[in-house]
Amino acid sequence: MENEHVVNDTPAVSAELFSGRSSYLKERFIRSVWFMTAVFGVLTVFFILAFLVIDGIPIFATVSPVEFLFGTTWNPTGAIPAYGTLPLWIGTVLVTIGAMVIAAPLGIACAIVIAELASPRLKAVFKPATELLAGIPSVVYGFFGLIVLTDFIRVNFDIPTGETWLAGSVLLGIMALPTIISVSEDAISAVPKEYREGSLALGTTRWQTISQVIVPSALSGITAALILGIGRAVGETMAVLMVTGNAAIIPDPIYNVLSPIRTLTGTLGIEMGETAIGSAHYHALFGVALLLLLITLAVNLSATVILGHIHAKQTGSGKGPGRLSALLARYQQNLKIAAVAFILLLVAFFVSPLVALVFALIGAALWYIPSHIQPRHQQNIAFSLLYVAIAVVLAALAIILGYIVINGLPAINWEFLTTAPRALGREGGIFPAIIGTLYLVTGAIAIALPIGVGAAIYLIEYTRENILTKLIRTGVDLLNGTPSIVFGLFGFSFLVLYLNLGISLIAGQITLALMVLPTVIRTTEEALRSVPTSFREGSLALGATQWQTISRVVIPPAIPGIITGAILSIGRAAGETAPIMFTAVVFSSRYLPSSLSDPVMALPYHLYILATNVPGAETNQYGTALVLITMVVGIYLVAIAVRTHYQKSIRW
Amino acid sequence: MDTSAVIETQGVNLWYGDNQALTNVTISFPEKTITSLIGPSGCGKSTLLRCLNRMNDLIPSCRIEGGISYHGTDLYGPAIDPVHLRKQVGMVFQRPNPFPKSIYDNITYGPRMHGIRDRKTLEQIVEESLRKAALWDEVKDRLSASAMGLSGGQQQRLCIARTLAVNPDVILMDEPCSALDPIATAKIESLMEELKSQYTVIIVTHSMQQAARVSDYTGFMYMGELIETGETAKIFENPEKELTNNYITGRFG
Ligand SMILES: Nc1ncnc2c1ncn2[C@@H]1O[C@H](COP(=O)(O)OP(=O)(O)O)[C@@H](O)[C@H]1O
Ligand SMILES: [Mg+2]
Repeated sequence: MENEHVVNDTPAVSAELFSGRSSYLKERFIRSVWFMTAVFGVLTVFFILAFLVIDGIPIFATVSPVEFLFGTTWNPTGAIPAYGTLPLWIGTVLVTIGAMVIAAPLGIACAIVIAELASPRLKAVFKPATELLAGIPSVVYGFFGLIVLTDFIRVNFDIPTGETWLAGSVLLGIMALPTIISVSEDAISAVPKEYREGSLALGTTRWQTISQVIVPSALSGITAALILGIGRAVGETMAVLMVTGNAAIIPDPIYNVLSPIRTLTGTLGIEMGETAIGSAHYHALFGVALLLLLITLAVNLSATVILGHIHAKQTGSGKGPGRLSALLARYQQNLKIAAVAFILLLVAFFVSPLVALVFALIGAALWYIPSHIQPRHQQNIAFSLLYVAIAVVLAALAIILGYIVINGLPAINWEFLTTAPRALGREGGIFPAIIGTLYLVTGAIAIALPIGVGAAIYLIEYTRENILTKLIRTGVDLLNGTPSIVFGLFGFSFLVLYLNLGISLIAGQITLALMVLPTVIRTTEEALRSVPTSFREGSLALGATQWQTISRVVIPPAIPGIITGAILSIGRAAGETAPIMFTAVVFSSRYLPSSLSDPVMALPYHLYILATNVPGAETNQYGTALVLITMVVGIYLVAIAVRTHYQKSIRW
Repeated sequence: MDTSAVIETQGVNLWYGDNQALTNVTISFPEKTITSLIGPSGCGKSTLLRCLNRMNDLIPSCRIEGGISYHGTDLYGPAIDPVHLRKQVGMVFQRPNPFPKSIYDNITYGPRMHGIRDRKTLEQIVEESLRKAALWDEVKDRLSASAMGLSGGQQQRLCIARTLAVNPDVILMDEPCSALDPIATAKIESLMEELKSQYTVIIVTHSMQQAARVSDYTGFMYMGELIETGETAKIFENPEKELTNNYITGRFG
């Protein structure tokens, strides 16, 4: 059939050229399927917002918006209910500030070490290790914080309870680190090699090059990293909830880090399960969720905007340095002095003038001394500090993992893994929880993978950048920044109540699927983008249709990247508590779910209840934590291994 | 106009966004000949070539005006499906771009996409195309090896073989030798001579020697315009335009 056409026979040629209509229809059909998957992400964001608004607005029949935002008492179950969220969002802000004070310097230092200092072999250890921090489920962080950290704080500061703002900030700081490190590292690595060589060729030390050229060039990327870290901290529920004491008070004085504190997310986690549906309290909680969502949306959008600017600059489509950064550069010195003076004033005002004076003296010394030591010694000092920072981070990882492994191993035996819990989980095993988690995760990925991959295919392969793709991408970004507890509330309001699915496996699977969808979309997008355009051109030039090209030439080399994304999503879904707390789980169940509409047990939730509500279950707590962490970290390690393996073997 | 022309363009203008890349280009490509397009880099050679199999459709900012006909049918008209057109008008790119598949799968990719499933036929196509591309002897023992393991010159001949495997009518080549060493270049040049008996070949090259050696007709382009076109011997020995003369005598470019 190939050899039939006759070159000179004009009608025959046109006939053959014309005969592509049926394949044309097929192509159109496939395209619209992917289009619908892509729109799904935007619709979800819209739906989440809509349901929070619908369920949150009625509270303003009870209290005015001003009172809701700035009322100083939160006591919805009191004789005279009070719905002031001021202590809650102040709590969120304070815990986040504390977390960033810890995470920002450590994270940036680690990023510098990984991107600039570490030998390839050290890098191959550091990078996965810091990524593992992201793999530890938040309920495990909370468990560790509850058992070890709060105790440490209680003893060392000699206070009645260690459940404090400080504990929350330390924990959140550690949890925000992986985000800060990986995004900053990307930004630093993206600084062109020429800058580095240009600076070194002028006879500067490596540290001078790093501190004067590389880090400043990567500054906006690092800023975005910090903002994303803030978003992570603001949206975290389980870990904060377990260690901050949850008293809805504003610390007195405001910088008292040893005061208990309560965050927006903590409030939702604690109270959502105990309120009557449709009550003022219920609506107030949706109001809180809405507030939380708006804060995280604002935080994440600003990171997206900054990263977008960087991308535009790198691809040359930007309009030169932004006006803001130009202004900043111009008044850098003045700004620094102003900021320092402002902080000193604050300290003098709130703490004591003496402390401010001490700070000022130390600052002046730090200012004066570096310029009077030799560059080489400066470099030694700086590098040592950087390595200390990464050592601290690795130590934190080792302590958390080590503590749980050492205490958890004795609990692990065949019976523990294969039987149902007895005596409220103090005895017996966790078999139904393991199975429940597997069911939840399998269902979630089965839903999220086709939709996410389809959306990514549409975004990368079918569209030119236009308003619609921008909208879709923004939707995905927003979904990515939505706190997991908000997914939980949405799942409860929409799936459990509105669609009447009840507390069920399927409601949990869908909620988890929505949560991991952005991860799937983004990793798939990246994988598709890394396939060279020349493959596509080569295939199209042979007369293959677009779908033939995508399915035969583009997707196969992108498979490892897609798999990595899927595995990461599985790990994330397996470790999450907040989204399933109100949609899918029960604490105790002797039986395995027999259908999608049955509730299930799940490991993270089981650990949460054991750790907070069941006294005398120590052994099984550690055992559950160990099984959970092994599962999740194991999944992450597989993802990392897949990635490294294929990175090595890619040859184009 | 030449009655045996396979492709003709008539007053083609092309813009990338606001940038005009082609201005009023009128040229025809006679059947079973080799036409080369020469000119300094950035003058629009690749752009013109990519109009002829509508690869420019893939560039969002690209806008085209004027007429291009393929065997008398309007190339950009509603009757033409670009997918089917590209099967008739094949293309070989500047950098060899084999797929990360085996040699065999690279060759059979096109035929398979066009519905040929029969193993015998496919094997026959593989051997035939590889022979035509003068690659058969070098790879016949390792057809299932990855194409990525071939040398640059072999990869480029594989890409030619891959194009021949879908039995096109016209073959477009965009500086097919610019990434290759002189020996590989020589092989591909002698290959073109063979191809001419069955196919209409249009080649973009920045090497005037190459144009002079292989082509029957030559078009000289400068800043988006087709300055002069005609038989190769005439262009190189007795060009009409001053600009052409300057270029071929190496006074610029
Ligand atoms: N994809 C594109 N987008 C925008 N401009 C392009 C694109 N491809 C080529 N151009 C511009 O069109 C002009 C002609 O390019 P090209 O056809 O590649 O020249 P040649 O192949 O002769 O070197 C150049 O000015 C080039 O910058
Ligand atoms: Mg070119």
